[in-house]
Amino acid sequence: MRSKLLVGTLAVLFGLPFLLLALLAVGEGWRFPAALPPAFSLAAVRSLLGSGNDLLAGLGRSLLLAGTVAVVATAGGFGLARAIARSAWARHWEVASYLPYALPPVLLAVLIQPFIIRLHLSGSVGGVLLGLLLVALPFATLLLRSFWTQQATEYEQLARTLGCTPGQALRQVLLPLAWPLLRTALFQTFLLAWFDFGLTNVLSVGKVRTLTVQVFAYVGEANAPLAAVASLLLLLPPALLLRLNRAALLRNTP
Amino acid sequence: MRFRLPKLLLGGYGLLVVGLPLAGLAYALLGSVGLAGPLAAGFTGRYWLALGHDPGLLYAALYSAGVALVAVGLSTGLALALVLGAQAALRRGPLLGLLYVPLLMPALVLAFYLFQLLSRSGWLSRLSYQAGLTSRLEAFPELVQDAAGVGIVLAHVLLTFPFLALLFQAIYQESRLDDYYQLTRTLGASAGQFRRRVALPLLLRRAAPTLLLSTVATLGAYDIPLLLGRPYPQMLSVYLTTRLQRFDLRELPAAYLAGFVVAGGLLVLLVPALRYTRRHAL
Repeated sequence: MRSKLLVGTLAVLFGLPFLLLALLAVGEGWRFPAALPPAFSLAAVRSLLGSGNDLLAGLGRSLLLAGTVAVVATAGGFGLARAIARSAWARHWEVASYLPYALPPVLLAVLIQPFIIRLHLSGSVGGVLLGLLLVALPFATLLLRSFWTQQATEYEQLARTLGCTPGQALRQVLLPLAWPLLRTALFQTFLLAWFDFGLTNVLSVGKVRTLTVQVFAYVGEANAPLAAVASLLLLLPPALLLRLNRAALLRNTP
Repeated sequence: MRFRLPKLLLGGYGLLVVGLPLAGLAYALLGSVGLAGPLAAGFTGRYWLALGHDPGLLYAALYSAGVALVAVGLSTGLALALVLGAQAALRRGPLLGLLYVPLLMPALVLAFYLFQLLSRSGWLSRLSYQAGLTSRLEAFPELVQDAAGVGIVLAHVLLTFPFLALLFQAIYQESRLDDYYQLTRTLGASAGQFRRRVALPLLLRRAAPTLLLSTVATLGAYDIPLLLGRPYPQMLSVYLTTRLQRFDLRELPAAYLAGFVVAGGLLVLLVPALRYTRRHAL
């Protein structure tokens, strides 16, 4: 009985955001003190396909940015983790990798902004990408560091002894062995970039209009229906990832 | 070439993750003494001297620390209560799966949702009006954009508590605390004694680095206080970006100074704390 009550309470607590966002997205002329919208309309949802609305472009931009960050950070992190494992200063590199976490992302963005401006990357996708990689790359490196144990090295050496080229050893031995961790790194770094607002907003000075930046803009314009539609779009990829691999969502700190 | 590649890779990596933030920190320091920045006019200590007369940064730091400690403290308490009090329910049924749902939520979306739910014209206010509990808009308590930061704390608890519950549950299972429970019961301890003297210290010590990083993340939160906070008092990240984005360029050195003090302070506090918690984590 107690456990059913607990499940019910948490289901309401965590389900309510989806219900309220959906009501806001389809409600029309919903003002205080009405508890429910007086009329329903799909205008905000339909505006996704309208030429004057850049929500769909924002969705594409966010997917592209988060996807690029995930692939580059995971691939780079895999190679870097290997280099760190074989380095004489492995422990120092690990400690250094924690530096971007010691600072809040927005503060990090504020600190590196003068250099982003000097590199002529301010307000560009490249600048945002660099900022996001500054956080995502050490995250993936630390996460994948646990793969490069003595055992992984021995598997690699065995494959080479049996006649594999370095490329074959990587493709046919190491990558399949590392796949569960690589998948986690891909998911986590994707979400890291997908959820980001502060770093993107500061480095792009509002010009790179990802979905999170758009949610904030719509909230500022008091356009609750479009903010709700953008919010629901933001929930889609993580929901899909949750369905694909629940465990991959948990490892928030390497 | 094969020998050089890892060194090149590590060199580039070092430049990115250590060089760039430290260069930013150095630039902020130089900017705060008038040696860098668009209006740099030579060395001056007046911004540092003015720091003592401007309570804004100190208030923002104290306010952020208060919000972070309360939010992470509440989240830790709730997560521990759930893991230690509802272990059977967590092992079967939908409870564990439910805890993953808030992990789908970007902080900004959660803040927008809470604003729509808890503001004076929000859903709860409307429901209380319809139920006759309140007679006008102003009669509903101020739960967001309030001075105490209730909305900000609530948002962070909603995001952090499920994550910590999942973390504690994973540690509980990895550490085979169920076996310890049977053992302590055999030795005559009560269930409460097992929770207080065995499970609680073990869970807290193993989760200490994550708890510390969660506190720092909350301390430096931006999205949630931007929507649910008020112009005064502000949390640190909002305070810093507000100062940096002012149109008056003469304010930049003071903003650089604030950035340097916050970043330097966090590094000085966090690095030894993280080292300590990692060393003492079981």
